Amino acid sequence: MAVLDIKETTRISLEIGRILLENGATTNRVELMMRKACIAFGHPDTHAYVTPTGIFISVQNGDDELSTSIRRIESRRIDLGKITRVSKLVNDMSKDICQDGVCRLNSDEFLAELGRIETEKNWPLWFQVFCGGITSGCFCLLFGGSWLEFAVAYGVGILVSLSLQLLGLLQINSFLLNLVGSALVVFFAKTLDIWVPRIKIDNIIIGGIMLLVPGLSFVNAIRDTMSGDLVSGTARAVEAIFIAVAIATGSGVMLKLWALWGH
Amino acid sequence: MMRPFDQLTLMQFTWAALSILGFSIRTNMRGWKILLLALGGGLNWAAYLIVLYYSDALLFSIFCSTLLVCVYSEIVARLVKVPVSVFVTCVIIPLVPGRTLYYAMQGYIAGDSAAASEHTYKLLLISGTIAMAIAVVSSLTNILFRLKNRF
Repeated sequence: MAVLDIKETTRISLEIGRILLENGATTNRVELMMRKACIAFGHPDTHAYVTPTGIFISVQNGDDELSTSIRRIESRRIDLGKITRVSKLVNDMSKDICQDGVCRLNSDEFLAELGRIETEKNWPLWFQVFCGGITSGCFCLLFGGSWLEFAVAYGVGILVSLSLQLLGLLQINSFLLNLVGSALVVFFAKTLDIWVPRIKIDNIIIGGIMLLVPGLSFVNAIRDTMSGDLVSGTARAVEAIFIAVAIATGSGVMLKLWALWGH
Repeated sequence: MMRPFDQLTLMQFTWAALSILGFSIRTNMRGWKILLLALGGGLNWAAYLIVLYYSDALLFSIFCSTLLVCVYSEIVARLVKVPVSVFVTCVIIPLVPGRTLYYAMQGYIAGDSAAASEHTYKLLLISGTIAMAIAVVSSLTNILFRLKNRF
């Protein structure tokens, strides 16, 4: 049994917010989860302000104690599994682990639990790459491809997922990543097109592009705007537009280069 | 031309579901919940095809199928305790206009500005329609919860 003081509460909820935001949660949800955690720890007088690039939180306890903290968020990726698990932990906190501000775990154990969620193993790499192939192949079929085109799109999906994983190691920003990714989609599709006769290249390239479309930023932009978070709604919408432009540019440049080369 | 509820619709449903299954694994979802995500994605595409067959209106069918899957996500996500936005993100992917984006780009490359601007226009309209459908459902849910808390 432990009662968490105001500093520890700030630290833990900042950590919760950081993990959620870095993995692509809507800012509205991050604010809600941070507030929920603070209420569970027995500090209901909390204000959290979250934008896509930073977190501000201020926890107040009566008139005498006040703890404010900010955190800059630099890396952003898409990991919906971590969002789900952190949300589950926070909900467990307010229902089960903490009662009236008295918790069954102390602050180190909470931080260890969050660290465990953060470093938890993903699906193995070969399986993620395999699923990238499935996604791209099935989108090719969905838009009217034949079985042969499915096979080619499957190969393109695998190659592109693999290269995206490798490019991810370089820590480049998401616009450049999508630009290079879509250029690679066109490059692999055109290369395979040389060896495989009688296929239509369009469906294969579209299947590959569907791996990259900014669905998450798009949904987050709308949901943030609708919940009144205009700042992050606008930021996310601009992110989605830029990613779409990057995809179009990448594929366009590669198509043009290929046309100049004479195929 | 396909007809609704025949074998082809079923196959399209399966492909959409499989691709969403792959997408959700790539974004690191785990457990049997990904089957519900896949079902939502398949439902989205099948509803789109069926409404498109009966109404022959592109934007209307996109609006209806997005409404349907957003309601589906709001209900199912709360039942299995997954954040709703995670669910919506995965199930709308089949309708996201990646195809139109590519055709618009291809039009520009080929110097066919009529096709390019037509597809760009369509891209904006489709994105706007999906956005509106998501907005309607999430606002209605907010209102419903507020009413439920009041009474």
